[in-house]
Amino acid sequence: MDLSAFLIQLFSGLSRAMVLFLLSAGLSLIFGVMNILNFAHATLWLVGGYVTYSMFEFLGGQFGASPWMLLPAIAGATAAMAAAGFLLERYLIRRTYGRDLPEQLLLTFALVLIIGDLIKLVWGVENRRISLGIEPIEMLDTFVNPYHFVIIATGVAVAFGLWFFLHRTRFGKIVRAAVYSRNMVSALGIPIPMIYSGVFALGVGLAAFAGGVFLPLLPMSLGVDHDIIVQCFAVVVIGGFGSMLGTFVAAVIVGVVYSFSILFWPDGALAMVFLIVILVLIWRPWGLFGTEMRY
Amino acid sequence: MTAILEVTNLHKHFGGIHVTRHVNFSLEEGEQSAIIGPNGAGKSTFMNLLTGYHRCDAGRVIFEGQDITNRPPHRIARMGISRAFQVSSIFSKMTVAENVRSAVHAQLRRSFSIFGAAGRIGVEDTDRVLALCGLAAKRGLVAGELAQGDKKRLELAIALAGKPRLLFLDEPTAGMSIDEARGTMELVDRLNRELKLTVLFTEHDMGIVFNHAQRLTLMHRGEIVVQGTPAEVRANTIAQQVYLGEHHV
Amino acid sequence: MNADNNNWWSRLYAKYGLSGPAAIVLLVFFLLVPLLPGKFWTIVSTEILILGLFAMSFNLLYGYMGQISFGHAAFFGLGAYATAMAFTRLKTAGGEIATLDFFLSLLAGPPIAALGALIVGFFCVRLTGIYFAMLSLAFGELLFYIVFSWYSFTKGDDGIQGLLPPPYFQDAAHYYYLTLAIVIGALAVMWRITESPFGYIMRTLRDNQRRAAFLGINVRLHMLVNFVIAGAFAGLAGALWGPFSRSVSPGLLGWQESGIAVFMTLIGGAGSFMGPLLGSVIYTFLQAVVTMFTSYWPLTIGTIILLIVLFLPGGVLGMVEKGIKARRGAGAGEEKQP
Repeated sequence: MDLSAFLIQLFSGLSRAMVLFLLSAGLSLIFGVMNILNFAHATLWLVGGYVTYSMFEFLGGQFGASPWMLLPAIAGATAAMAAAGFLLERYLIRRTYGRDLPEQLLLTFALVLIIGDLIKLVWGVENRRISLGIEPIEMLDTFVNPYHFVIIATGVAVAFGLWFFLHRTRFGKIVRAAVYSRNMVSALGIPIPMIYSGVFALGVGLAAFAGGVFLPLLPMSLGVDHDIIVQCFAVVVIGGFGSMLGTFVAAVIVGVVYSFSILFWPDGALAMVFLIVILVLIWRPWGLFGTEMRY
Repeated sequence: MTAILEVTNLHKHFGGIHVTRHVNFSLEEGEQSAIIGPNGAGKSTFMNLLTGYHRCDAGRVIFEGQDITNRPPHRIARMGISRAFQVSSIFSKMTVAENVRSAVHAQLRRSFSIFGAAGRIGVEDTDRVLALCGLAAKRGLVAGELAQGDKKRLELAIALAGKPRLLFLDEPTAGMSIDEARGTMELVDRLNRELKLTVLFTEHDMGIVFNHAQRLTLMHRGEIVVQGTPAEVRANTIAQQVYLGEHHV
Repeated sequence: MNADNNNWWSRLYAKYGLSGPAAIVLLVFFLLVPLLPGKFWTIVSTEILILGLFAMSFNLLYGYMGQISFGHAAFFGLGAYATAMAFTRLKTAGGEIATLDFFLSLLAGPPIAALGALIVGFFCVRLTGIYFAMLSLAFGELLFYIVFSWYSFTKGDDGIQGLLPPPYFQDAAHYYYLTLAIVIGALAVMWRITESPFGYIMRTLRDNQRRAAFLGINVRLHMLVNFVIAGAFAGLAGALWGPFSRSVSPGLLGWQESGIAVFMTLIGGAGSFMGPLLGSVIYTFLQAVVTMFTSYWPLTIGTIILLIVLFLPGGVLGMVEKGIKARRGAGAGEEKQP
């Protein structure tokens, strides 16, 4: 494989990795803080994409079609979904705390089915895509969609934003502490229920944001969430629950491995990813950057 | 009398904290002995090391002439060592009888028997242990719903079902009323006398210790500080200092 | 208690718990189904039985051993594919298969599934809880993608078609009774296993793994044996599935298929031997009926699962058990629970 082909694969792998990161970051945080494995995370990502689409169409109709309408559309969808996530946690997820793990898993599994069908109910079965009308640019002897750069840049920016949030803001530090020990945080007088609602809302908001960002690249269609969620699990397991650095590194690993595996094993590229998951779980179950203290 | 248990140079640290420091210890066969010490002395950790719950960083544990250092807990249990936990560790969704019965099945090496009828194997042993621990009347109750004292008794019953030759009891009377504690310790005395069962227990209650232990070992900060008969230890000045907080290792 | 409690119904309950009466009711139901007009209910009931067996095998790991596996369908699928491949090799060029060869192909399912479970289980039993769930999911997906992509061996996404049983068993009612006989036999064996010393050791692993180790139980080895047994029964269900639906496809190994076993067990009640089979009756029946009227089956079943998790975590049999206990009052003595 020559250099330019290698770089192209790396490039598309990184782009994929950023989407996985944006999506898995929320999943990792939610599990790290609340011990809830949100099966419905990718489904909420999908809803975010559909909502962004609708907002984009609406704003385009109101103010004239333009690719820049994507920005307020994404912002609006993210805010709306974060609010929805807040309510979801407060009125539904909260009821499963203290229950056994399988029951919590089943609740979010049920949400996958319910929300998936609600998407069908509202938006029907056709794909939704946005065309921003961007011309492919020539790079390294091949044509590349420059939107990939946007995605990569966004992913890195969000990564920094999350790092800043978790390490430099008060709320963020509380969240990190809660990953280590819920009881201690609660004993310090900080209301754990609010933290949970906030973290869940943040996670869902991130997922919706990822959905909107991804919209120009890939059509939103029913059932994509089923494929994506297990890849998110892979990322979170490899990186370690609750660790943003782990999620980022793992997303890059998964994205790049997938991108190169497609070349010589098109149908089985994901099998390579799961092989890595298996190896990590056998060697170091809490992930590359996870803390051994849990379980 | 022969030494049933010989511990040499046992050492354990968690990170930078040395919880067991080069401990030498031995138990004579048929002895009933207690380990005492203030909180944090390392009594439970010591017991954990002996029963395979923790890996030790140095030292050896020899039981009946065999080196059992760092063997996994299930292997140590099969050699004839049983332990009862400080916080009762029972099978809460099963009945009292099923709890003991499963321990009996394990001891009878029938745990892989997939075609036998569980209710018909080990019946005598199960009934005997239940009667011994005063649980016969409660055999049908679900273990998780028992009162605290009964849970401790079930804890002991499960340990006894393994037909051990060496029994470790971690604070056997914790949480019990005076009557219950007396009843439990009288049972332990009987087992020690009649079955020649070697018993090592940890305790906080000095009354229990002085009435039921032939030999005492005082631990402080992971080391054995004083050993001897209860009278000897009681008279020992270092022991007094340890309990008054004046002793420094 | 009272004189009327001495009827055989109560004695059945006293000896076998709720599963005793439930088994009788289900047996009567299954024996009578083919008498209904048309083939539809017979075919649905065959599906109920096969998936019910699959769910029961899952519960060996979940209700009895306390671990949730999201990759259990891999063994269902392995059994289905083993049978399908043996079937394809044994059938004539004209697509027909002799009766003996048909049974031989069925026999191929469980051992292959058990072998798969041995390999996967070797790694999975080193973990518990969420890690067990994730590793079983990862193995399931790995096996799915291997089957999906290995076109030359498994025909990939096309699946293996043309699994037509011998003429006698092409009749829906005949295949149904065959399935019923096999499932009854399998459940009888499964019951023996759950009521054996091994079965109760499984319950100790569910309730308190650490303590079990201190009893002298080699936890990993016992978990592995159970894992293989559960895999073998799942493989048996898979073996029956191929000729029933006339084809197999990679989706049979995926996590969504694993989810079906979990749903059925939850609906019927994991705490009772017959729970998963009852769950299969409810789930499959509902699916058959609901999909006649609407395409929003996921919404329906998702809502039901949600409600059960929130309000009825013990499933149907769990709710019945609670009702019986409440009526008898506290301290009634022998309360049989698996």
